[in-house]
Amino acid sequence: MPALWLWQHGPVTWPHVLVMILGAIVTLAVTLGVVTYTIYAERKVIGWMQGRIGPNRVGPFGLLQSFADIFKLLIKEDIVPEKADRSLFLLAPIIAFVPSFMTLAVIPFTMRHIFTADFGVGLLYYLALSAITIHGVMLGGWASNNKYALIGGMRSAAQMLSYEVPLGMSLVGVALMSGSLNLNHIVLAQSRTVWYVVPQIVGFCVFLVAATAELNRTPFDLPEAESELVAGYHVEYTGFRFAFFMLTEYVYVFAMGCLAATLFLGGWSGPFLPGWLWFAIKVFAFIFFQFWLRATMPRIRVDQLMSFSWKVLLPIAMLNLVGTAIVTTLW
Amino acid sequence: MNFSAFEHLDTLVFYLVSLVILVCAVMMLNFRKVIYMVLAMGGVFVGCAVLFLLLGADFVGIAQVMIYAGAITILMMFAIMLTNHEAVEPEARWSLQKAFSAIGAVVLGAVLLLVIRSTHWVVGDGRHINHGYANPVAIGLDLFREYTIPFELVSLLLLVSLVGAVLIARERKED
Repeated sequence: MPALWLWQHGPVTWPHVLVMILGAIVTLAVTLGVVTYTIYAERKVIGWMQGRIGPNRVGPFGLLQSFADIFKLLIKEDIVPEKADRSLFLLAPIIAFVPSFMTLAVIPFTMRHIFTADFGVGLLYYLALSAITIHGVMLGGWASNNKYALIGGMRSAAQMLSYEVPLGMSLVGVALMSGSLNLNHIVLAQSRTVWYVVPQIVGFCVFLVAATAELNRTPFDLPEAESELVAGYHVEYTGFRFAFFMLTEYVYVFAMGCLAATLFLGGWSGPFLPGWLWFAIKVFAFIFFQFWLRATMPRIRVDQLMSFSWKVLLPIAMLNLVGTAIVTTLW
Repeated sequence: MNFSAFEHLDTLVFYLVSLVILVCAVMMLNFRKVIYMVLAMGGVFVGCAVLFLLLGADFVGIAQVMIYAGAITILMMFAIMLTNHEAVEPEARWSLQKAFSAIGAVVLGAVLLLVIRSTHWVVGDGRHINHGYANPVAIGLDLFREYTIPFELVSLLLLVSLVGAVLIARERKED
């Protein structure tokens, strides 16, 4: 590869900055494409599971439906409620979205990761950045000056904070087995041995549950429980600011899928097919699992939510961690 | 345009990030609304984390984002949101106490600057940093080999404060 693309190591120079910006643009384009068709696929798959047709009017098989929806959101009026805290109200979607996109910077999409960073503490980076989004959600709920938005924002923040603990704990097992927090090294270690979903099956189950809660998706979609809270923290948002909140949620679905594929399913490694295709297949499997849950599960009660995280998930994750530590030390 | 002063872009990034930190710090002092102050402080925390990353301290930088920008800022926001919606600081007025505090702050800054300038810092050549280990590995080795006892003592302290917090927050039966 030409030296221009090897920007991860060595001092930063102007050509490297250019390549970094290029990488960010390519990643953004891919992400927006994935998000657009995730929304379409979600409606289509859930429709199929529930014996409906799903979107089928805009374009062949409704393939352009998401573009029409996005276009509609972009040309809508940007309404700021009179009693809202104006500057925070305008800022909140940005605070929510920026970290969601930044988490993708450490995901190794392909074997030759030319677009994303080779970062020594990539795993912690993901967890740290995803916590910043909670600020955006809370501020959005608070600045709207609406009781439903405030309750939704509070619920969302409490839920995301408490499920981040078992989520992080379930990932420590993987870090122990691979001996690294660098996502590239974790994938390499798996391509030499087995995918960590086999030895870390308990950790993987905890990860799946905690990730679903972290994404605020069914059965943990209490923050936007339509029947009690109208729509949660983004009740007052319209137009492209609302679109930004939705975009954030779906970028996180994509990013969490990437994380699951990288840490437990071997990332880009796999026989015959090229690396990026394997990665795409694994990410899609995770996203499909999320659709499946949403089509089949009822919502859990708010009083069960917190105790489930602290009294069930966390002890299981701890036991998994201790077990992994003992096995890796003895082995 | 002459970029030679910024041949290593790190220097340019350092000045930009420092500017952001200072602006956030000044804004934090100037804001009247408490929630804006918390947000500005979050900006300072994130900026400091970037400085750590710039210096090659990956783990400390990310820990800074996780603990300060993440956990502590959110905790403060929770506290503010659950209390007074319109919490506003009163207009600042000069008093004798404040004047002395200002003088004290200036003197402290001058002393710190003097000490930093007069200290001879050992500059590594950057290659043998951390004995060739990755940053988190080097920190782990140091913690568990060199500083095992302080590390265990700190964890004990954290455990005690955790239990204490639970004890304080526990519902009392007799009420």
